[in-house]
Amino acid sequence: MRAAPNPSFPGVAGFRTKLVVAMMAVVSIVSVSTLLFTQRNLAAAARLDFRREFQAELASLHSIQGLRDEDLAERCRILAGKPRIHAALEDGAPDLLYPSAHDEMQGIMGSEAGAAGSIHALYYRFLDEKGRVVSPADGRTAGLLRPREEAELALPALPDRAQTGYIVRESGAGQETVDEVIAMPIVSSENGETIAAVVVGFRPPALGGSGADAWIQTGVWLGGRLDLPALPEPARGALAGAIARAVASGEGGSDGFEVRAGGTPYLVSFERLNPGSLFPPAYEVSVHPLAEALSRQRQLLWEFVGAGALALLGAFVVSQLLSRRLSEPVEKLAVDSLESREHWRQAEAALELTSQELQRSARFSADASHQLKTPVTVLRAGLEELLAGEELGAEARAEISRLVHQTFRLASVIEDLLLLSRMDAGRLKIQFANLDLSLLLDRVLDDLSALPDPPRLSVDSEIAPSLWISGERRFAELILQNLLENARKYNREGGRIRLAARADGEWAVVSVGNTGAPIPRESQAHIFERFHRGAVGENVPGHGIGLNLARDLARLHGGDLRLSRSDADWTEFELRLRLEAPPGGGTP
Amino acid sequence: MTLRYLCALASLSCLAAMPGVGAPAQAAAEGAVKLPKPLHTPVMNKRYGIVAYGGVLTPYPPVAVVYLEGAFARPAAPATATMAQKDLNFVPVLLPVQVGTRVEFPNLDDTYHNIFSYSPAKRFDLGRYRSDERPVPSEVFDVAGMVTLRCDIHEHMRAIILVLDTPHFVLSDADGHYRLEGLPEGRFVLKAWIDSRTTLERPVELTAGGTLHADFP
Repeated sequence: MRAAPNPSFPGVAGFRTKLVVAMMAVVSIVSVSTLLFTQRNLAAAARLDFRREFQAELASLHSIQGLRDEDLAERCRILAGKPRIHAALEDGAPDLLYPSAHDEMQGIMGSEAGAAGSIHALYYRFLDEKGRVVSPADGRTAGLLRPREEAELALPALPDRAQTGYIVRESGAGQETVDEVIAMPIVSSENGETIAAVVVGFRPPALGGSGADAWIQTGVWLGGRLDLPALPEPARGALAGAIARAVASGEGGSDGFEVRAGGTPYLVSFERLNPGSLFPPAYEVSVHPLAEALSRQRQLLWEFVGAGALALLGAFVVSQLLSRRLSEPVEKLAVDSLESREHWRQAEAALELTSQELQRSARFSADASHQLKTPVTVLRAGLEELLAGEELGAEARAEISRLVHQTFRLASVIEDLLLLSRMDAGRLKIQFANLDLSLLLDRVLDDLSALPDPPRLSVDSEIAPSLWISGERRFAELILQNLLENARKYNREGGRIRLAARADGEWAVVSVGNTGAPIPRESQAHIFERFHRGAVGENVPGHGIGLNLARDLARLHGGDLRLSRSDADWTEFELRLRLEAPPGGGTP
Repeated sequence: MTLRYLCALASLSCLAAMPGVGAPAQAAAEGAVKLPKPLHTPVMNKRYGIVAYGGVLTPYPPVAVVYLEGAFARPAAPATATMAQKDLNFVPVLLPVQVGTRVEFPNLDDTYHNIFSYSPAKRFDLGRYRSDERPVPSEVFDVAGMVTLRCDIHEHMRAIILVLDTPHFVLSDADGHYRLEGLPEGRFVLKAWIDSRTTLERPVELTAGGTLHADFP
């Protein structure tokens, strides 16, 4: 049981495990949440930065586009203000409309009209007063268009200001392109009314870069169709669908949202290219592939996970060490408590045993005394009857007389044993009353001198008057008788006995001293034990319970009895009993 | 009442003039055309000679052309008229000519002009030319009708040549008063061109030596 603290105690091992688990849990929660929070913040900040960059890039693109659009619109406005156009429309010369325009468009139509972002026009058409397309006699000068494409230039009514529109046009070889068209009203100088409009088609602006590696790729979404050549086809279709849904739900797309298309995430933002236009709505779609940003974020995440794992590992080690240190005193406590519990259990068992033994011995003493008393009485009665007979010689009579005397001794021993057994069983109750100790001492001295066969002893006494104590008379007498009996018994020939009584504070102190061989030092500690007799007293009658009885009685009276001195030729006992106020008043 | 009085006076004077006229009986007509109120035109547009308003081209300040419609013989030698460009404007802004008249377009400015017309009555394009262009660009107007002149370079420039199938025409003064002389006798229709959309007419009977008084309206 005295083994070093180790996990052989299940409770201690459990405690340490719990401690480690709790510390790990706390550390894990704290570090994981801190890491998560930081990662979340960093990711959000990165995302915000990225969005800002994206928006800034878009804004700069838009400003370039805006300049170009203004330029184009201005060209169209100039065209719409040309006197020849006006003359053809106002002076009744519709046949001269396209020829005149052809002349005027020389500077606008360009050979490099096919290039993306070119400010040269691809084609132009006039709209009549109802918004219908006026077909040119010779399509080559006004730019060739298929009838369907030409029909798309028509407007439900003439616009009162420039309109931007987008149409899908076949650019040959089965390829389709989206063109930007600007419809410019032609306002009559005669009546200030819009009499016609001219629609000029341009190649849409090449924004940001049409290359596949451009940071932002822009395209045009028109009627569910996305024109963004830089994007691979499956992604384009998925993206077009996503934008169609966003447009249909009416939510803005200028803030940008993320779309997974064709397995690749994109940051997409779209914006109406022709707000308020009479032409069908077209949206500029700006797409940024997020793969790189995501991989960067993923890398960041992994770094965080690694850091988290390291932190957790560190926390695990630290908590192990800490828990070991912290649990040490607890373990010690547990071991100690276990040991003390064991001791206590042992003590309890011993106590139980003792108590049982005590009970048994007490019962035995009581039984024995009772069983003995009767035969002793019968024996004495028989002996006295023999003495009363006439036929005995003097020698026999003396012998029987001694035997009678022995029965008295026997009876007294039995009485003492009975008393002791009652005390041991806790059944002895003292009937307390105020007693005059001084008087009691005088009487006991008288009894001593009245004893038969008194040895040649001198007795002197010094008894303070009026020493009152509380107790039962017969037990107090018994104590004093026992003490004096001893003093007489263990005295030497011609010795003396000294009896003194005085008040000492709240105590009445009675000392009984006698001459004679001292009690050996090694026996002094045992003289109050039951059935102990001093080695000197081998030839002295006694049964070894007198002192024991006297001390027990003294203690029952709240006092004590002790050997105060035993050396040279003098042995002295000291009895202390609590002083009581004398019944008639006066000082104790 | 005033009108009736004036009519009576006119018929009286006609009757009085008739007997005294010689072999080629000459008649005259005079009167007033009620001109449209001058439109308020902003100062910026002050140089505009022809004002477009509500789809109508009106000379500014307002002036009318009064002419006698009928079948008249064309003159043997074509007449010549001048429509000059001065201070980025046509001078005059309204030019009535008889069919077959050659109109010259001298450029009196220091800049180029490019006079053209898409009007059905006469389509022409003189191209860009300066004041030193010789011969002075000219066109013969041989179809009756209104011809709107424009300059391809100066879009605000506008003028009207009224090509009339008659030698008898006159511009009214700013108050609308006119007087036509040397008219033949007989029944005719007297017309007053007020703007591009408004031509008033009234049948008249001219008597030799007499002066018909005809007001519009």
